[in-house]
Amino acid sequence: MERTSEEADLIRRCMAGDARAYEPIVRACEGPALRVATGMLGDPDDARDAVQDAFVRAFQALDRFDAGRPFRPWLLRILRNRCNDLLRGQRRRVGLEVLDALPADHDGVGGRDGSGDAADARELIWRALGRIASEHREVLVLKELEGLRYAEIAQVAGIPEGTVASRLYHARRALRSALEALGYSGVSMEVEP
Amino acid sequence: MNRHLEPEELMRYLDGELDTTASADIETHLGRCTECRREHVIFQRMKEDLITMPARHGATQGSVWDAVNRRLTRPIGWLLLVVGLALWTAWAAYTFVVSPVDVFEKLTVGAIIIGTVLLLASVLCERYRERRHDPYRKIQQ
Repeated sequence: MERTSEEADLIRRCMAGDARAYEPIVRACEGPALRVATGMLGDPDDARDAVQDAFVRAFQALDRFDAGRPFRPWLLRILRNRCNDLLRGQRRRVGLEVLDALPADHDGVGGRDGSGDAADARELIWRALGRIASEHREVLVLKELEGLRYAEIAQVAGIPEGTVASRLYHARRALRSALEALGYSGVSMEVEP
Repeated sequence: MNRHLEPEELMRYLDGELDTTASADIETHLGRCTECRREHVIFQRMKEDLITMPARHGATQGSVWDAVNRRLTRPIGWLLLVVGLALWTAWAAYTFVVSPVDVFEKLTVGAIIIGTVLLLASVLCERYRERRHDPYRKIQQ
């Protein structure tokens, strides 16, 4: 749903207690929300629970929302907080159980050099995402999976815009290290001088 | 630009957050500096892999609207149930108290009802607490 007067009207109806007006908003925002939550939590079922919680909390907190502003960044911020609560509460990292299941001599997959399967390579990226700190995973998910601009990421993550670039840099380095540790060769290709 | 790129500059360039002039400066530098070009290519490839990465199975299956709608409307149902039960219980208690039944019989029936309610409530509370803290609750049979 584009940011239009239609969304603002729906929000105002929701604020007046009309839950039916919330349906088009939920359907428009659930795709991005599920991608972000899955990226942050790793498990699709946990992600669906977190997204449901976020939509319910957002509806209940609509009296604090400025109807003149876009809804999606606000929702993503609530969702981000919910995901962080879950991660803190459960004291876990995404995919650790999967990593633990890997054999010690696991030599990874080839990534871009064609020696491994592309699907395996992508699964490996998911696992590597699970190995990095949640604050790093968060900005990577918002940037790469959701394609948000730095200003939007700053709004969702609650950090200054200037911090977004440096956090993305450290996040990408951390992901690169995690991928190398898992044997993914796509990040260590030589570049023509 | 003779120095190496700052990490933030590289990220802004990679993510298309720079204006045309700044981007052109960085492209010129990347054409000359092998070290920065290598760094850029690695990040660029990782970015492409992340962007093309499909959603994990199940993440996009079905809408969450039905579940959200149930949770939004559930409090109204609970409210009506609790208010209705409270009114009905008060009316039943009043009717029972003013009825021409022996006092001993009233006390006995009252004790049985209160005891049953207390036992039921304690069992429900216990089951709820156990369910919340059960580490295996998400494991399917």
